Amino acid sequence: MTELAVLIPEALVLVAALAALFAERLPGGDRTAARLGAGLAGAAAVCVALIGVRDPIANGTLAYDAVARDARLAVAALSALYLLWLSGSALDRVREMAAFALFSALGGMLMASARDLMVLFIALELGTMPAYVMMGYEREDARTLEGSLKYYLLSMTTSLVMLYGFSLIFGLTGTTRIAEAGSLAPAGLLGAFAAVFALTGLFAKLSAAPFHFWTPDAYAGAPASAVAFVSTVPKVAGAAALFRLAQALEVGEVVSLFLGAAALASMLLGNFGAYPQRDIRRLMAYSGIAHSGYVLLALGAGSPSAIAYAVIYAIPSMAVMLLAAEEGAAVEDWSGLVQRRPAAAWALVVLLLSLVGVPPMAGFFGKLSVFGAALHAGRTALVVVAVLMSVVSAGYYFRLIRPAFFAEGAPEVAEDRAGATWASTVVFVAATALTLLLPLLFGALESLPRIGA
Amino acid sequence: MTSHLLTAIVFLPLVGAVACAAVPSARASRALALGVSGVVLALAVWLVAGFEPGAGMQFVERARWIPQIGAEYHLGVDGVSLPMLALSALLTVLAVVASWNVAERPKTYFALLMLLEVGMNGVFVALDFVLFYVFWELVLVPMYFLIAWWGGPRRQYASIKFFLYTLFGSVFMLVGIIALYLHPAGGTLDITALAGRGFPVQFQMWAFAAFFLGFAVKVPVFPLHTWLPDAHVEAPTAASVLLAGILLKMGTYGFIRVTLPILPEASRAWAPAVAALAAVSIVYGAALAFAQKDLKKLVAYSSVSHMGFVMLGIAAGTSEGIAGAVAVMFSHGVVTGMLFLLVGMVYERTHTRMIEDVSGLSVQTPVAGGLLALASFASLGLPGLSGFVGEFLSLLGAWKSDLVPAAWVVVSAVGVLLAAAYMLSVVQRVVLGEPSKAVAGIGDLTLREVGVLVPLVALTVVVGVWWDSLLRYVSPVASELAKLVVGS
Repeated sequence: MTELAVLIPEALVLVAALAALFAERLPGGDRTAARLGAGLAGAAAVCVALIGVRDPIANGTLAYDAVARDARLAVAALSALYLLWLSGSALDRVREMAAFALFSALGGMLMASARDLMVLFIALELGTMPAYVMMGYEREDARTLEGSLKYYLLSMTTSLVMLYGFSLIFGLTGTTRIAEAGSLAPAGLLGAFAAVFALTGLFAKLSAAPFHFWTPDAYAGAPASAVAFVSTVPKVAGAAALFRLAQALEVGEVVSLFLGAAALASMLLGNFGAYPQRDIRRLMAYSGIAHSGYVLLALGAGSPSAIAYAVIYAIPSMAVMLLAAEEGAAVEDWSGLVQRRPAAAWALVVLLLSLVGVPPMAGFFGKLSVFGAALHAGRTALVVVAVLMSVVSAGYYFRLIRPAFFAEGAPEVAEDRAGATWASTVVFVAATALTLLLPLLFGALESLPRIGA
Repeated sequence: MTSHLLTAIVFLPLVGAVACAAVPSARASRALALGVSGVVLALAVWLVAGFEPGAGMQFVERARWIPQIGAEYHLGVDGVSLPMLALSALLTVLAVVASWNVAERPKTYFALLMLLEVGMNGVFVALDFVLFYVFWELVLVPMYFLIAWWGGPRRQYASIKFFLYTLFGSVFMLVGIIALYLHPAGGTLDITALAGRGFPVQFQMWAFAAFFLGFAVKVPVFPLHTWLPDAHVEAPTAASVLLAGILLKMGTYGFIRVTLPILPEASRAWAPAVAALAAVSIVYGAALAFAQKDLKKLVAYSSVSHMGFVMLGIAAGTSEGIAGAVAVMFSHGVVTGMLFLLVGMVYERTHTRMIEDVSGLSVQTPVAGGLLALASFASLGLPGLSGFVGEFLSLLGAWKSDLVPAAWVVVSAVGVLLAAAYMLSVVQRVVLGEPSKAVAGIGDLTLREVGVLVPLVALTVVVGVWWDSLLRYVSPVASELAKLVVGS
């Protein structure tokens, strides 16, 4: 019984999600639900940190190692920030968004510790299903429906391909345990197919090439507040699951080649695709594809820095999308931001430069760790592409900074824009502080892998 | 107290940056900026006074930082970094005074200047690669905003070009850093400890190429220089001074701190190519300077030419060459700072920088005219002023070196001649003659402006007359490095 104590964080998130479903019964309604969710998710994050690394439970199907701990901590903490922001937002039906985000977070946390193919699949679906609803949040908008339908169809298809891969692995090895399944898989063609199929589903969740093309359409149709969650939190969990799976499925060179090719394609397509975009959601969608490429680069090198990178990506990316939710999703909407909200504008600089990978922001240390891992694995050419692409990325991130700071004849403040609430202020301060100060704390983070180890 | 002197010099401006942004009034902000940069300068002077020439790394500070990647908080100064650090502290104070009347968003402006100083000071004292890289990139952000916000008409283009070019170079440097760390012979990020590790030559060649891209963009070496004229012309005066005076030197400092000691065989092997690029930079920069109609652009291109002498000295690898390189770095920082300040001061009065529109400064404004003439003479390398010391030594060092083909030294020497031609033509057209329409009626320099220029004039003269005031710090380090590279 005591071994189930490691599930306390998940239980807290589940309670919060159920409470949000019945928000109408709560005093204060939607807002209370979101605040309760933020509080419980925050508590879950603290519990994950306190519980630390433990033995696997449930017959060995759920792992509680350092990878699981870091990913669960990040998922819970990011969800807490997101719900805090929701509690202050002017969105309709906040309770639904809160409930779905919490269910998705629950799925993500389970996904990060799944050591069994079936558990992984169920956790993945639990993490993804609520995201379909979040992306289709504006039910009357045709573009939203188009985007979310694309997301739904592609996501379902890749899930089924993945399930097919799982069944092949089970057929070949007679087990669904990820560790055993991997080591038993013969290095033949069928094994390779099984492995590639199995990875496919997670690629789509990470919006990595070649399963990326749904992302820009889906994000551009969805409300920015939904994108802020869907484009970040599931990616952290996805990176953790992919790490576990890729570690086990080392079937000859095939998996590593597949990961390398996907990393290359994601970096190129994402970064060049982001360049012409005028809609911040589309731009961040492509940037997300590019960053998934860096995650895959680390995964291909077999390094857990992939998870650290996904977290370091998720924090600023979520904050930028939340700002888009407040200020408007077209690049022009940010004109004159520095006059309206100077603190937010400077926070934006920190967040975007972190995404570029400029020190002393956290993004730099993420890239340092990923490039180190990839160079150590002998992938010099990929690293050269990766560094060049990070220069390209600076070009389009600056297209967001430019209107915010240097718009000529900045338009008057639109009256209908909601002013920043204290909740959103707290969220931006927290995200910026994490982005700036994480490097100072790195010394205390034992999970950040050594370069070349 | 001196045990944390370097930390204070580097991070006091960071405190200043926050304070400059936080204080309620613009007046308080600039007073604070002056106060903080003044204290930093005083600390730097104290540092120089306590520095023992020839005794290696001094004022070293070491602390745990990120053990996972082997990064440490590791600072120290030697005879090469000391003059650059002092120059950076001095030029920042002058930049603050020169921007005294900045009208637009003064609090942000001074905060950015302070932030810039953190990066500039940090680069010259960081002895850990990650720390070095952090400071190296840190200067980009404030400089980007200084150009993009307070710059001339094409500031958006110029600032982003500056940012992207430099970022392009530095990401390759990052690859080089990781490669050194991962190599079995490396295994550390400690810059001093990596010196003379004897990396395999083939590896050194590639690592050198990566570092070269990073440093050469910053210097800038032909053909990577095209961001420089744009950035300089658009930048506000104070930013131009710091860009030319300090930021360009970060590139050549990188060669001296990193590639010479850590990759000596590659430095040797690449020397002819580097020398060729240096010679081309010298002549090409000078020729373009000659062709400019805009005074600020002329100074910008002359920087390309002068930085070529630094590269030539570094390529030579001899003790004279390296000492000469550092001397040019120092002198160019002082003299070009003076030139940019003067051009800015003249521009504020005449609202033109076109050489054809400005003449007769010596008649209308004798102080400004005289100082501009003096700065021009220092820039063209007149003996007795600081410009001569370094250019003479780097040419001598290159001539004595077996690594640099004599032809490139001859070509470079022609560059000295060209420098004399374009600078004298400036003196003739701008300083001498009858006052032009734009110049007629303008007032001479104010006391504040003269106060900004006096320290630079004094340094030019002192270093030019008493070479040893600078070389006593530089020479011991230069001969150590020369031993590693050319073996003598």
